Amino acid sequence: MRRPFGLAMFLLLVLTLGVVIAEAQTKEETLVYALQSDVDSWDPPNSVQRTAIILGYNVFNHLAERDLKTMKVGPSLAVAWKALDDTTWEVSLRKGVRFHDGSPFTARDVKATFDRVLDPEKKLTARGNHAKIKGVEIVDDHTVRFKTDGPYPLFEERLTAQVMQSEKVIKDKGHDWMQEHPVGTGPYKLVKWTRKQEHLLVRNDDYWGTKPAFKYVRIRVIPEMATQIAELISGGVDIIKAVPPDQMDVIDKSGQARTSTAPILRTAFLQMDQAGRSGPSPFQDVRVRKAANLAVDMDAIIKHVLNGLGDRVATSVNPMAFGFDTGLKPYKQDIAQAKKLLAEAGFPNGLDFRFRTGLSTVEPGVSQTNEAIIADLAKAGLRAKQSLIGETSPYVAQVKEGKAGPMFNWSWGYYSIFDADAILHDVFKCGETYSYYCNKQLDDLIHAGRSTLDPKKRAETYAKAQKILYDDAAYMFKWGLRGVWGISNRANYAAPRDEIDRMYIVTRRAS
Amino acid sequence: MTALAPREVALEGPRPAEAVPSARVVSLRRLWRLKWGVAAAGVMALIVASAVLAPWIAPHDPLQVNIRHRLGPPAWLPGGTAAHPLGTDQVGRDLLSRVIYGGQVSLLVGVCAVLVSATLGVLLGLAAGYFGGRLDWLIMTLVNVMLTFPFVLLALAVIAVLGPSLVNMIAVLGAAGWPIYTRVIRAETLSIRERDFVVAARALGLGHSRLVFRQIFPNLVSPIVVVATLQVAQVIVLESFLSFLGLGVQPPTPAWGNMLGEGRVYMLNSWWIAAFPGLAIFCTTLVINLMGNALRDWLDPHLKL
Amino acid sequence: MKRYLGRQVVQLVVVIIGISVLSFAILNVIGDPVLLMVPETAPKEEHERIRKLLGLDRPLYEQYWKFASRAIQGDFGRSWYGDMPAFRLVMERMPPTLYLTFAGLGVALAIAIPLGVVAALRRHSIVDNLCTVLAVGGQAMPIFWLGIMLIIIFAVRLQVLPASGYGTWQHFLMPSFTLGAFLAPITMRLVRSGIIEVMSMEYIKTARAKGVGERLVVVKHAFRNACIPVVTVIGLQFGQLLGGAIVTETVFAWPGVATLTVEAIRTQDFPVVQCAVVLLAVVIVVVNLAVDTIVGFIDPRIRVQA
Repeated sequence: MRRPFGLAMFLLLVLTLGVVIAEAQTKEETLVYALQSDVDSWDPPNSVQRTAIILGYNVFNHLAERDLKTMKVGPSLAVAWKALDDTTWEVSLRKGVRFHDGSPFTARDVKATFDRVLDPEKKLTARGNHAKIKGVEIVDDHTVRFKTDGPYPLFEERLTAQVMQSEKVIKDKGHDWMQEHPVGTGPYKLVKWTRKQEHLLVRNDDYWGTKPAFKYVRIRVIPEMATQIAELISGGVDIIKAVPPDQMDVIDKSGQARTSTAPILRTAFLQMDQAGRSGPSPFQDVRVRKAANLAVDMDAIIKHVLNGLGDRVATSVNPMAFGFDTGLKPYKQDIAQAKKLLAEAGFPNGLDFRFRTGLSTVEPGVSQTNEAIIADLAKAGLRAKQSLIGETSPYVAQVKEGKAGPMFNWSWGYYSIFDADAILHDVFKCGETYSYYCNKQLDDLIHAGRSTLDPKKRAETYAKAQKILYDDAAYMFKWGLRGVWGISNRANYAAPRDEIDRMYIVTRRAS
Repeated sequence: MTALAPREVALEGPRPAEAVPSARVVSLRRLWRLKWGVAAAGVMALIVASAVLAPWIAPHDPLQVNIRHRLGPPAWLPGGTAAHPLGTDQVGRDLLSRVIYGGQVSLLVGVCAVLVSATLGVLLGLAAGYFGGRLDWLIMTLVNVMLTFPFVLLALAVIAVLGPSLVNMIAVLGAAGWPIYTRVIRAETLSIRERDFVVAARALGLGHSRLVFRQIFPNLVSPIVVVATLQVAQVIVLESFLSFLGLGVQPPTPAWGNMLGEGRVYMLNSWWIAAFPGLAIFCTTLVINLMGNALRDWLDPHLKL
Repeated sequence: MKRYLGRQVVQLVVVIIGISVLSFAILNVIGDPVLLMVPETAPKEEHERIRKLLGLDRPLYEQYWKFASRAIQGDFGRSWYGDMPAFRLVMERMPPTLYLTFAGLGVALAIAIPLGVVAALRRHSIVDNLCTVLAVGGQAMPIFWLGIMLIIIFAVRLQVLPASGYGTWQHFLMPSFTLGAFLAPITMRLVRSGIIEVMSMEYIKTARAKGVGERLVVVKHAFRNACIPVVTVIGLQFGQLLGGAIVTETVFAWPGVATLTVEAIRTQDFPVVQCAVVLLAVVIVVVNLAVDTIVGFIDPRIRVQA
């Protein structure tokens, strides 16, 4: 009511807040990591999000772990494994490991974890990944046997893809509790989770492996990439990922941070609705699909729009994945041929269609590359009308429900499994949730590839599969991504090729 | 009365004997006092002209993608060319052309939305002020409800349901902006209703609608014009905010708001992509506000706005 | 006083009901929630089944009644994406929004009141003209533009303030300044016109005639009474202030209700949108009530008049 009143209120408010919201940990001991969107839960098998996988790596352990230098799978919670026969694998577990709640890690936990994931009633999203495992038997406290449904060549790779959860927690606390309270064996523990805002992790001082250098990890949810970059170069955040190639110079010139790039497993492509999942589509005709692939000059787009940060591929199989066919050359731009094919298919004046696109959280620069693609397609008469879906969850939901046709932008991270099967099965097999392609020959090859443990035979099978994808122009093929990370100068870290940010390996940089 | 402040003495003192100035001089003097408004009106005319004549004055096609020339700086910076005076955007489209064409969207949305709001608002205000009673109460309650609540949130919620598009935006912004007209018009109607000429007309047996439209309405034109002008600026800013959020006009159609949104991530290196649309929004809004204020000072200084 | 307050409460309850009807109408009448949950290609029986499940086949007033009666108990359904009760989600984010709004209000008043008073007392002086320029310019400035510029200057170039986020008083500075700058122009003009009006009143002349010093006249008599229009305006502007807060929150990644609502709108998470709209309306209404009470205390005429 008096002039000083407003001022006094403001000062009081500010002071109170300053006192109440005091930082419990110092900046020096805290590593800050930025995410563009928050996870829905801390139960990794219950989520398809890449961020859930990444966070899971920091709080849980898997049976096996990938060595980032050799890219080979090595021991973690499992110290050794061997195939007893075509359908049985025996795994020896590490001794002396405890969960964050103090209970010891034993074979019972392995069995409980897999039983839960494989249970059709529970409907966990990870079930599809491990469907080849029929069951887990306990041999003794530190040995288990996996029974598989036929030969399972991806067994070793998949050991890196399931976190080990506590039997006690699964039985006593139940599913809902587990969504917010992760109890793992990993290098960090979750202290606090403020939804859609931030997570606070603290070092696990009883960790069985190398203890992390930073005592605390603060994971901040910052939706705008522009803000993340601003925070990085002003010292508010230490590690950001999926930096758009156009912004690399800002970070590199700042003197506070630097960029680090690496080819990653993630491969980008445009799915065309060959299977007709969203209704009849012009892309059911192979000539139209070929025309689309011939219309676009992908190499120029990589060069000019991504500043060279992309590896052109002939199909969606990534060069780093097992089974990649080096002999297959990608489509070269040929607008005249594209127009000819369209005319043959019955579209002498071209055609109009809807093109669904999403955000650039996993594929930086995607809106610019899509604009370039649309421009090239239009030159051949394929007029795309862009339909931007501004949030990831509804976009993914539309794709899963089969509503995303006739063409939409997509990319696949392979769940960090470096094998052609990891993409062929989920994205090209007829009837799979994320697949808009249906080809019996391909399905047979996919099945064959999974059914033998002989790498030579598998490589041949996958070469045949890639030829089919190429000749049939299954989708519009783009490139393997090069991930760009922004790292502050006080942290020693480099871009991880499997797209997983391990906070526990980050050390302080000597200045 | 020596304790009076000096300026009050001037008002109450005797009038100096001077010739009454001619009508022409008086109106020119008035125009000079409103010089800012006149200048603003001139600039506004330029803006409207450039939007209307866009196909002829824009140097390039605003939708033409050219990835080899993307992120080109404005002509006066190293690396810039005269072909693209304001530079190019993230896929190589000419920025100047896009800014010019963007004006089309902003002005279209501004004018149409305000027309919708004004029509709705004035009709309801007339009804409330003229007929009074329960109708008045009902309408004013609705007005209070809508005025209490932030314009922005309502607009966002409706767009969420209808989906983003030019037509939806005009509909939403139009439907959300009527209450202010109603309030103003109702007040004016109430005061005019009791004036002699209206009472006389009723006594003569003039019907309602004739009364309203012939007698009352002409007096309302000034407040309507002032409110409408100021509201165009508000709508333009709101439209740009919605487009900035991705809920308005969709790319690649150039609109100042979505250009700002797309350019935001480039603020630290290719700053021109966001700077020029932002400048366009600022200038247009400024100019419209100046015009509106001048109109108000000229037509109806007692309007409480 | 009691009658006056009683009248105000009734009016404001009406407003809350109105907002809830509006919110319900927008989401259930204009949109079709069923189409959002089930693909268009699904068989008709599936559509009908979901419709029955959600109770959407009941007449509208019945649906509204169900919605309203649940809402009063705080049950707005569960968020479709977060799998949490919508009410809890919105309430968690309410404090940051409220802190920001009040801080912004504080900044706006701190700017507008001194400037407005000076401009009113020294009409047509340089200060007055400057204020007019600032007011018009300030009103034209898109607030999100201002926010982004501030981040670039203070966080990136000068590195004295954090670029985004929430937690310390430094995090408050730029967002509250941005919001304050949004409201300051119009508040300043209203203060100015309020003071001008009051200064020309009879009792001011009387005070001067009595020989009271100019300063005392201004502070004791004029300002006190000019507060009435200012406080009233604050009440009216609170809704606009919240609107400005929405924009500010988006730019500064402020963890408030506004960013939650925008995200919910994008993900089409309707229970959250509905809940946020209604709860914000309640906040606005409560503030308006508080303002009306204060005004009623200051100015007895209003109590009697209304």
